[in-house]
Amino acid sequence: MTRTYGSATLLSILTLLALPAVSSAQHEMHGMTMGGGWRMVPMDMNMPMLPGLESAVPVVGPFMPGMGMDPAMLPEARPSEVVPMASGDTLDISVSMVRRAIGGHEMIMFGYNGQYPGPLIQAPKDATVMIRVTNEIQMPTTIHWHGVRIDNRFDGVPGVTQEAIQRGESFLYEVNVPDAGMYWYHPHVREDVQQDLGLFGNLLVTSPDPDYYGPAHREEVFVLDDILMDDQGVLPWGDESPTHALMGRFGNVMMVNGETDYRLEARSGEVVRFYLTNVANSRTFNVTFGGAKVKIVASDVSRFEREQWVGSVVIAPAERYVVDVRFDEPGEVVIANTIQAVNHFRGEFYPVVDTLSIVHVSEEAAEPGVSAAFDSLREHDDVVADIESFRPHFGRAPDHEVVTTVRVQGLHPSLVLSMEADTLYVAPMEWNDAMPMMNWLSTGEEVTWILEDVATGAQNGDIDWTFRVGDVVKIRIHNTPDSFHPMNHPIHIHGQRFLVLSMDEVENQNLVWKDTAIVPVGSTMDVLVEMSNPGEWMFHCHIAEHLHAGMMFGFTVTDGAP
Amino acid sequence: MLSILALLTAIGAPVESSWDLRGAFHMPSIDTDPSVMCVDGPPYYAFELVTTKNIPGTGLATGTVEASVSSDSPFSIQLSPDGSYTYDLHVSLDRMRVPRQGQLVAWVTTAEIDHIERMGALDEHLQTSGRVDWNKYIVVITLEPSDDPDQDVWTGPIVMRGMSRSGMMHTMVGHGALQQENCAAYGYGN
Repeated sequence: MTRTYGSATLLSILTLLALPAVSSAQHEMHGMTMGGGWRMVPMDMNMPMLPGLESAVPVVGPFMPGMGMDPAMLPEARPSEVVPMASGDTLDISVSMVRRAIGGHEMIMFGYNGQYPGPLIQAPKDATVMIRVTNEIQMPTTIHWHGVRIDNRFDGVPGVTQEAIQRGESFLYEVNVPDAGMYWYHPHVREDVQQDLGLFGNLLVTSPDPDYYGPAHREEVFVLDDILMDDQGVLPWGDESPTHALMGRFGNVMMVNGETDYRLEARSGEVVRFYLTNVANSRTFNVTFGGAKVKIVASDVSRFEREQWVGSVVIAPAERYVVDVRFDEPGEVVIANTIQAVNHFRGEFYPVVDTLSIVHVSEEAAEPGVSAAFDSLREHDDVVADIESFRPHFGRAPDHEVVTTVRVQGLHPSLVLSMEADTLYVAPMEWNDAMPMMNWLSTGEEVTWILEDVATGAQNGDIDWTFRVGDVVKIRIHNTPDSFHPMNHPIHIHGQRFLVLSMDEVENQNLVWKDTAIVPVGSTMDVLVEMSNPGEWMFHCHIAEHLHAGMMFGFTVTDGAP
Repeated sequence: MLSILALLTAIGAPVESSWDLRGAFHMPSIDTDPSVMCVDGPPYYAFELVTTKNIPGTGLATGTVEASVSSDSPFSIQLSPDGSYTYDLHVSLDRMRVPRQGQLVAWVTTAEIDHIERMGALDEHLQTSGRVDWNKYIVVITLEPSDDPDQDVWTGPIVMRGMSRSGMMHTMVGHGALQQENCAAYGYGN
């Protein structure tokens, strides 16, 4: 693509490059009201403002839920409640506006049954539960049962498996749960808005095997999230299409289970099983547990072949991990998001530690038998046996190859110039929003994220794959670093389960069934998908803004002859 | 321990070696035992080693460092406790005459050269592997008097060196229209 820029613009860029300190003085603009009802996105004070962007706003209009309404008129959201369900039970879920207070700001958000997160549904493996969803918000919505190998009719994809639920309408989901583990549910309509506003909840599928997981003193559910706020409250979302289309909308306020100050109590030696779910739009967390010993047990759709000690848990949007953590010593343990952020303007990495939760460990000792059992790592023979039948497929050539890339059109010239100037190095992962202003200004109107079928050249919705039930399909996904803005992508496949066989030709030595896995920049991931579930399914990036900027296609699994 | 200044001097300054470097010209095979030292990282993060031409027989030498972020992690990448990337590195040299005396050793150091770790001696195929958990780092090949695993800093002349891809990320002053200068000075042509 050839672009022409005026000499004044180029001069301003060069001036910026030479004099970043001068431009940084413009940070007084952050938080101010701008044209069209936008407020400038908050930025690190060390980051200079790009010349030419001082008054720029996204090309789409702003969206705020319940605009003009008094939050006091709405019910206050309450914490998630556990809902045990047996096969055949029905749960009514209303999707409605609620009043939330985050960081001292009272605001209008969304909630499932007025809760944050939504109700924690518990159902036994192989049950079928009925969830009647009634929409009371101004936007159409659906519920996608993420990771569940569900009957295709209830997958929650508007225009594919159902029509979106309009305001005042209801839809009855029959949710069959064939695999034990932690799942979650969220809308598949404008996730960048609805999910960010609080529409998410967990679905815990319990195994009939009481020894399914190793011994633990207790269990905790941690729903990890972030939200983008300034000193006036939450920042508006894009109305017609998402803002933050390049990197996704990173929040600057971290939350566990919807709370910014989530605290736990534990006894010395207590083994706590954490069910981690990342519901953030774009942020991949690196969860550290102070000095506590951490054992990884399970992920999206199964346990690992064998338990493994880990120093932290890297969890991308939509992924789940089950980890056992033992708190040995009395005192406080900080559960944190521990990252090395990037400052592109200074060309450096810098450490960031955001507290997610604080665990107060008391002097009281936990029951010692469980504490001692924690020291051993279990092998899950049934998982190994289940995977064994797929091993003949591991070494063969991929059936399909997909590359990820991005196309932009019409972005502000200052933004394009700056992006193109900063091309010598792209990190494997984006842990922080290193360019908040530029990211905010990029919308789904200008940015198209692309999944491209290497064999046909077809992109996104034009990709046409058909399989049969029972097919075992090897897919190679390459995240090309040679694009306008490379970025990591958490790839999600609906309705099926898959194994990550290798990353960059390094074989995975500890397999686990997944429904979402992240592909770092420059990396190549081979996955083996068991096509076990007939229907029309989606394959997409789970960064909400990337999804709505095109990064999605459907594939068909038939239950008969081709 | 050598001072930083001494190390920097070693990178740029010609070195008189007291060792006999009249070795036979050795062209290592590309094929290696797959059971040893296999790092197939994304090519994007691989980088070249540039000869210092300080040692006879290395004027045409080339080298590559492959970097993988994913080997034995249950996640797609490996991180250190502070969130830094943990790279498995595989170093391979080519087109050089192997010194008859002394031992080629690979080191990894921070961009500021304030921390140094020994990766290991290069084998007969002029290859070695190691691990680093710094976000920016330099791989240095030196010619040491012997293979001493306890050695914590190099003492011999630098034969080759190269900076991680992340080292290309420097201030915006050094990017854009001016980016070529800084990188070219270090040996990168693009």
